[in-house]
Amino acid sequence: MTTEGDTSVERGAERSPEVPQASPEEAAKDEAGAAGHGAEPRGKRSAEGEATFLVAIAEAMWEEMERDDSVFLMGQDIGVYGGAFKVTEGFLDRFGPERVMDTPICEETIIGTAIGAALAGMRPIAELQYADFIANGFDELVNVAGKHHYRVGERVPLVVRGPSGGGVRASSFHSQNPEPWFAHTPGLKVVVPAFPTDAKGLLKAAVRDDNPVVFFEHKWIYRRIRETVPDDPDFTVPIGRADVKREGVDVSVISYGAMVHKALEAASDLEDSGISVEVLDLRTIWPLDTAAILRTVEKTGRAVVLYESHRAFGVGAEVSAVLAEDGFDLLDAPVVRLAPPNVPVPFSPPLEDAYLPQVEDIVDAVDKLSKW
Amino acid sequence: MSNGKARDIWGEPVRTSASARFDRLGLKEEDLHRLLYYLKLCRYFDERMEMLYRQGRLPGAIYSGRGQEGTHVGTGFALRREDVFLGTHRDLSVQLTKGLELKRVMAQFWGRVDGYTRGRDGNSHVGSFAAAGTFAVVSMLPDSYPVACGWALAFKRRGEERVAVAMCGEGATSNGRWHESLNLSSIHRLPAVWIVNNNQWAYSTPNRLEFSVPSVAVRAEAYGMPGIRVDGTDVLEVYEAVGDAVERARSGEGPSLIESVSLRWKGHAGHDPARYVPREMLDDYMGNRDPVKRLQDLLMSEGAVSEADAGALDERVKKEFDEAHDFAQRSPLPSGEDVTRGLWTEDGYWDSDPRGDGRTE
Ligand SMILES: Cc1ncc(C[n+]2csc(CCOP(=O)(O)OP(=O)(O)O)c2C)c(N)n1
Ligand SMILES: [Mg+2]
Repeated sequence: MTTEGDTSVERGAERSPEVPQASPEEAAKDEAGAAGHGAEPRGKRSAEGEATFLVAIAEAMWEEMERDDSVFLMGQDIGVYGGAFKVTEGFLDRFGPERVMDTPICEETIIGTAIGAALAGMRPIAELQYADFIANGFDELVNVAGKHHYRVGERVPLVVRGPSGGGVRASSFHSQNPEPWFAHTPGLKVVVPAFPTDAKGLLKAAVRDDNPVVFFEHKWIYRRIRETVPDDPDFTVPIGRADVKREGVDVSVISYGAMVHKALEAASDLEDSGISVEVLDLRTIWPLDTAAILRTVEKTGRAVVLYESHRAFGVGAEVSAVLAEDGFDLLDAPVVRLAPPNVPVPFSPPLEDAYLPQVEDIVDAVDKLSKW
Repeated sequence: MSNGKARDIWGEPVRTSASARFDRLGLKEEDLHRLLYYLKLCRYFDERMEMLYRQGRLPGAIYSGRGQEGTHVGTGFALRREDVFLGTHRDLSVQLTKGLELKRVMAQFWGRVDGYTRGRDGNSHVGSFAAAGTFAVVSMLPDSYPVACGWALAFKRRGEERVAVAMCGEGATSNGRWHESLNLSSIHRLPAVWIVNNNQWAYSTPNRLEFSVPSVAVRAEAYGMPGIRVDGTDVLEVYEAVGDAVERARSGEGPSLIESVSLRWKGHAGHDPARYVPREMLDDYMGNRDPVKRLQDLLMSEGAVSEADAGALDERVKKEFDEAHDFAQRSPLPSGEDVTRGLWTEDGYWDSDPRGDGRTE
């Protein structure tokens, strides 16, 4: 996967090249004069009214906090600084330090605190500076959040969210896709959207969900993908439903997260060679929309499972197993998995490019499969 | 104080240092009786459950808290119903004192539907916020600490005069989340009380291999909160310390740390003969620092409790245990068909009683 010039994620975040600054009029309106700060995320849409993925996430949280006083944020550097990726920029001024709570560096306790607050009737959203740091809070999520309702019937409505994914030259500690860890764990819903509208609707649904939700935001998408997103404060996208992002009849590419965009690019390339690709965006990893998976394969008879988390024992294995168990008769060819090898995400461009499935890899895989 | 009490020449009761202490703690005679009742109940429960375990009549594990009832009952007694308690495998007695029903706890041990977890969990991995304001124990130590931060945060945010009290053993204080939680609670002045039940052993590991500071309590300074060390075999001392810390938290002055020292009389769990605990130490604690006997002796010498009163309490706890045991044996086992239910809130499993008798908590 080639990137558009970013060599450092954090530097990229601070440059904010695609986030429009407040217009002079808006800045003048802002009493404090701090451009953009304290302003609604909607003010950060482009002149055409489009929101980046990042702004869509911010809109979702802002709206939910406006709607429900029990919703609050906790995480590292989310207050004055507005978060490492600036997702919560402006939130502190609007909602105050109790609802936009800067925490020390203690993921285990951040997540555990979110669990306690959720049990007490609040709706916490805990931000991880990078999704990778979820490993530091693993135990509370897996052993407490995921099990508690099954064990005692007490609700734990929390959201843990953070930037995941690679392709931004951030190497193994800032590029992981931890979703399979949690999809494998009972009691956690796992959401990984690919488009701003889905991200907004799914995050709002996650906040309203009475179960714990792990929500990963692919950082490669943050500022690259933009679209017009709904304004209705009650707009949500249901958790657990996949969505066909491109219709086709020859081969299904079943994917999620940043890889959906690669799949769409590959699909338009393939169209030129006469292969019609259907792209199914899972959007939610767990609960998995098995009906949608079977439906697309019923149509095409061929499936490539394309994903950015590690190849073995992951999303591809699960989707393939669903097809083998319940869709054997629908298949005209074996299911193909296209995913990075089970090694840590490497840094140097040739290594990372070799690690991640590229558009050409998808084109090749689909082409081969279509001829099977 | 009434019966048999020493009186001065004017016929007024002699005010001993002990009775002055009861007054200072605001403990009236009926409170002292209740305190003794809980000590006896928890002791008796512990002994009988061990017996059933040894006879092979109790499935699963037991973690005896014998010898530590002063810490347990003193803590449970100092809390209000609306306060929350988050403990560990060994401090079921706190939860019993705070209000878990004995019969439903016993049903839990036998994996029955009337247990608080309906058979999804066993032994002392129990709790119910709805029933008693207690957190269902999580094995991982001390996972309850960060969760207590969250409750305290919610109380503070909503301006409620409630306190989150978490307890764990001294071994659990070696884990990072213990330190993280004290730190976070202090930064945000959360209404939390951190109690460490130092029974001097973490499974087979003694204090000196868990930490190199002279006590757990001294660590409080590192987190900017008061820390005290109390005699966990004296239920009144624990009650007073926890009461003070809880009031401090309630009035918005932030968290405190209490280290309560006693000895674990039995092994880590039912299978462990604990040969690593020196005999003399055990004899000393069992002979001279039995928390149940200490309070009973004190109350008798003060005339607050008679032989007959004590005997009646013994009868009462035995009867209550037997009734609860019967209830547990009669309670149905869960249906295997329900194994996947109740994971998600949407399926409604926990909204209704599995036996359909409409009981709600
Ligand atoms: C994180 C974690 N590691 C290991 C264990 C296994 N374990 C259960 S109890 C125990 C000893 C605990 O000692 P302490 O904290 O002093 O509590 P006590 O049992 O003495 O009450 C251990 C090691 C655990 N429950 N949690
Ligand atoms: Mg111990």
